[in-house]
Amino acid sequence: MSLVDFTDIRMEQRAVAGVTVPVAVVPRIKNQGYLSRILHSLKGLLEGMRLTFGYLVHPSRIVTRQYPENRETLKFPERYRANLKLVYDEKGYHLCGGCKLCEKACPNASIRVLNRKSPITGKIELDRYIWRMDSCTFCNACVLACPSSSLEMGHEFENAVYDRRLLIYNLNRYAGPQAEVMEKLDEETRKQAMEPRDAYGGPVPLAGEELPNIVPVRVDSPGNPASRPGQGSDA
Amino acid sequence: MQNAMSMILVAATGPWAAKTVAERASESLDTSLWAVAAYMVLALLAVVVLVTLLGLVLIYAERKIAGRFQCRVGPMRVGPHGLLQTVADTFKLLLKEDIIPTRADQAMHLLAPFLCMGATVLIIAVLPYSPTMQILDLNIGVLFVTAVSGFGVMGILLGGWSSNNKWSLIGAMRSGAQIISYEISATLALLVVVLFAGTMSLRGIVESQEAGWWIWRAHGVGLISFIVYLIASTAEINRTPFDIPEGESELTAGFHAEYSGLRFSFFFLSEFINMFIVSALAATLFLGGWMPFHIGGWTTFNNVMGLIPPSLWFAGKNLFVIFVIMWFRWTFPRLRVDQLMRLEWKILLPIGFANLMAASLVVLSNFYFFPGK
Repeated sequence: MSLVDFTDIRMEQRAVAGVTVPVAVVPRIKNQGYLSRILHSLKGLLEGMRLTFGYLVHPSRIVTRQYPENRETLKFPERYRANLKLVYDEKGYHLCGGCKLCEKACPNASIRVLNRKSPITGKIELDRYIWRMDSCTFCNACVLACPSSSLEMGHEFENAVYDRRLLIYNLNRYAGPQAEVMEKLDEETRKQAMEPRDAYGGPVPLAGEELPNIVPVRVDSPGNPASRPGQGSDA
Repeated sequence: MQNAMSMILVAATGPWAAKTVAERASESLDTSLWAVAAYMVLALLAVVVLVTLLGLVLIYAERKIAGRFQCRVGPMRVGPHGLLQTVADTFKLLLKEDIIPTRADQAMHLLAPFLCMGATVLIIAVLPYSPTMQILDLNIGVLFVTAVSGFGVMGILLGGWSSNNKWSLIGAMRSGAQIISYEISATLALLVVVLFAGTMSLRGIVESQEAGWWIWRAHGVGLISFIVYLIASTAEINRTPFDIPEGESELTAGFHAEYSGLRFSFFFLSEFINMFIVSALAATLFLGGWMPFHIGGWTTFNNVMGLIPPSLWFAGKNLFVIFVIMWFRWTFPRLRVDQLMRLEWKILLPIGFANLMAASLVVLSNFYFFPGK
């Protein structure tokens, strides 16, 4: 019993200011009686109570998670966005060709892509992919802008560090051509074309320095895709 | 040993000899004054312990239930499943600074929370918890309860006015308007049961429900007045959906905005104890109080029901009504001020009056189930 019967809406041609226009005629709100209005609202309230009681008796509806305890078994929604990552294929090659579209798409200049001319192929290739986590708003614009799908937002969210310089770091494990180019090279040249890069080397605030008591995690091991920077000493 | 067993059996199956603490005290007046003093201390202690325990349990229950209604889990960190959360909160409140605004009316400001709490405690003393657990039974019990619960509005009005803060004052005035309006409907609903029972004594009302609770014995009249009472009393204790005096979204906290520490906790506590009182009254008047679920004439069935101690019956009914009130709070949207007044004066009041008329007809024609007395 709704206030307006939506099946009664009909289309009509009406002359408005000398022009005939189609008009949707919605029936007027029904004038209900005193009692039927009370019963109607009571019905709505009871429906609401039924819904909340359903929540009460079904523990599966609880969305709260006990975070530090369930750290090992945390499940993330598919679209959960945390730290920016480069995508690596199964051989450990990134897909980034260094086109800098992400840098242009970034609304607050949190990305800096540095390219270099490859000593092996002689073409432009990625040297360092610098990401400023401290100013990033995790808006996903870079991921959407990337033509080669080489970026993704990961699920690593425990980002507290003791020095804010640790929040600015390289994303790429190696300086070198992307997977597409690598495929065309032979085994020996591939190894020569890849020059390892760590998180805090190059033109980042830390500039390769090491902080006392804090061992930055190195991102150059291909078997460690979930690299958390700056938290080398955590448990 | 055998003696004790037979006593328990008699207690479990025999008729309940109702006796209040006040009656016991007056009986022992002839023998020893110490016994009278002991009874008084006992009663005082009982009230204090009850108020404290109720505060702890109800606040914890409210938070847990609210959590589950909203797909959360509620407090989980302090103690197992957050059991000690209320204790921790109480200590925090006790340790907080007691601030009195500079321009406040100091004496009134200090007095208000105690008025609120006082009204609450006065009602606790007359509630029948079981045949033997009642401090005092007044022959005008229902009138006393209605009058004293109106006394609590004084505390709210005073607190809001003396804080010298416009939000507090608006909250207090709204609260006054709301409580005084809904008092009428609540009283009309209570009058229906007074008509049925023919007495205002709370114990008498409970005893009058031996053949069946008033909520179902009177062909729907009792049910309607129960619903009216539930709605009106939810409004009287300022709980959502009728939390206009507190108006978290527009008045920040209403009448207790300027209170802190212990005095704030008095307002807070009296709000929760009031919920208990309202539920206890609903249970006493409509759901039979400590009276087990009886159906007139079914002796065996009644005896089986009588095996459950009356205090448990009372507690169970009470908890049920408390749960329903909490259920209201976490389900219903808030009302606007005009909607609130409309609900009372245009809907509840006419229904209450019509119901009272119907009830008097029912009583005159002796029309309810198991009328024989």
